[in-house]
Amino acid sequence: MAFPTQTEPISGHQNVSFERERGVYAIEVMSGVSHAVIQVGEDAGRTGRISRVLSALAGAGVPVFLIKMHRDVVTLAFAGADTHTAIQTLSDNRLTADVRGELALVVVRAASMRDLHGIMVNIADALFDAGARLHETGDSHNSVQCLIEESRTDAAVESLCKKFELSPDAVSLSTLATGGAR
Amino acid sequence: MNILVQKFGGTSVDRPEHRALAARKVIQAREANFNPVVVVSAIGRAGAPYATDTLVKVLRDIDPQVPPAPREMDMMMACGEIISTVVFAHTLQTLGFKAVALSGGQAGIITDDVFGNARILEIRPNYLLELIAQGYIPVVCGFQGTTDPLASAEHGAITTLGRGGSDTTASALGVALGAVGVEIYTDVDGVKTADPSMVSAASTLDVCSYEEVAEIAHQGAKVVHPRAAEIAMDHNIPLWVKSTFSDKVGTRISSDAPTSTDARRLTGITHTGKLVYIRLEIENFEHKQQVEREVYRMMAKAGINIFLVTFSPTSLSFCVPRSRYPIARDLLDGMVVPVVGSASNIEGKQATYYIFKFSEGLDLAYSVQRPLLAGIEKFADIVDVPATVIESCTMVSVIAAGHRTVPGIISTIFDYLANAGIAVYQTADSEMSISFLIPESEVDRAVRLLHQRLFENQT
Repeated sequence: MAFPTQTEPISGHQNVSFERERGVYAIEVMSGVSHAVIQVGEDAGRTGRISRVLSALAGAGVPVFLIKMHRDVVTLAFAGADTHTAIQTLSDNRLTADVRGELALVVVRAASMRDLHGIMVNIADALFDAGARLHETGDSHNSVQCLIEESRTDAAVESLCKKFELSPDAVSLSTLATGGAR
Repeated sequence: MNILVQKFGGTSVDRPEHRALAARKVIQAREANFNPVVVVSAIGRAGAPYATDTLVKVLRDIDPQVPPAPREMDMMMACGEIISTVVFAHTLQTLGFKAVALSGGQAGIITDDVFGNARILEIRPNYLLELIAQGYIPVVCGFQGTTDPLASAEHGAITTLGRGGSDTTASALGVALGAVGVEIYTDVDGVKTADPSMVSAASTLDVCSYEEVAEIAHQGAKVVHPRAAEIAMDHNIPLWVKSTFSDKVGTRISSDAPTSTDARRLTGITHTGKLVYIRLEIENFEHKQQVEREVYRMMAKAGINIFLVTFSPTSLSFCVPRSRYPIARDLLDGMVVPVVGSASNIEGKQATYYIFKFSEGLDLAYSVQRPLLAGIEKFADIVDVPATVIESCTMVSVIAAGHRTVPGIISTIFDYLANAGIAVYQTADSEMSISFLIPESEVDRAVRLLHQRLFENQT
């Protein structure tokens, strides 16, 4: 049996977008986030104190995220609704903390983020142009998460959309409820 | 048409006996009334005569000082799959089956013209469907496609899809052909809870969500390439990971598996990357954001990906792949960032020049550049940005869907590592995983420990 001949131009093929666009494709904004800077010192007890911070907040039922370890502090984020519980818990455990509320987590999504370079500088430029200071950042294979002041969210999103040529449809908004970030 | 896409990796087609086992999987599918469409990778891994790396070496060895053009490089790299496809199609023919070998372009895979990392734009499946209707088993080259033959530029050029390209081919063909499923055959019998070469007790997952397998793949496990998982996820086509060398059922990856919307679920432990952690001290909070941007800009210009980026009011830390660290250090050492203030400071100086300094012995550029700035100290502050470095790091990750909604998971894992005396330099978390930057020398111990505590003690 002869092979069928390929018809050109081909018609009737499935018009499917197979792969995600390269680069940034969405921005998610989650408001209602608090951020804590907790003193843990630089001495030999640092690791134990970090452990105490995490276990105390876990014991109080406060889910935390964006945990970062610095020389003498550990920083983390949680739902604004958990702020009172978090402050009380840290205080009960004799941990010195500076807690800032009314922050928003702006999540910039891109396919294969770690295969791309230059995303971070574009995000930093966009946020700088919007007057939004980065309080903390996190990154994964498909996102860069930026913690900024809630009051700068609109300007930041506008600037990021402009920088990455995204339409408003690419932006989603939500409020972080107690129980942690998804 | 009851089409089943079956993809076989390099180790499944590297020897006649392995190809016989792979062919058996295809014949079993046919006997079960599926119409198989086969996708194959190049024969063998690095060092094998027709492996992709071997073919690339032929080009590079012509003159190591002259890198091959991307277009020609892709043509060369595509040869490995072409050879493998022809060999496998002929294997099926010798067993009495009608099989036909197809290049990516012949299978209708149209990509953009980003050579070396092309993206599939569309698949024109008519020819494949006609072959299937006539009883043929198409054997398609993985990892490759072609630019649109009708396009004005690079018309009909062979392209390659980058890392994990054969998995991507299989997933995309599955979507285009409306397949009932895509089977990825490899040398392990499914998605494991840890690297079995490191953890003998690693078990095979029965079922996994697309998000989980994409996360596992991104975090270092070499089971299914994340692009393939993402295509399957976006088009809701079931994926299976199976072993060519056993009849075990493997791991089913689908949308009805538990996801991040469900309660806490631990999927596996992965490890990845030889990393270097760099910490820069930028003491002026007002200028810090501007200085940081220049660091990002420099890394971007050099094509260096940075991650695990961490801020404090006076520092910026991040990781770079160890292979890129020498370039990163050379760029940062002695780098000068001028920041012009809107008003002069108390000494009447209107600008601050920040100069990056690595530790002694690694600060050659700094030691040359710093004296050159002496002449402007009357007009500007000169501030050192000390850089400290932790070399030989790696990242261990726990794939944990829903962990952000459940307090205590990070705390528990941190305690396991801390109590075992494993230093945690930094952490990172996303919706699907929690990662810990640890000394590379501790990776075996960390993976075994976490697997034992989080998985083996649960059963």
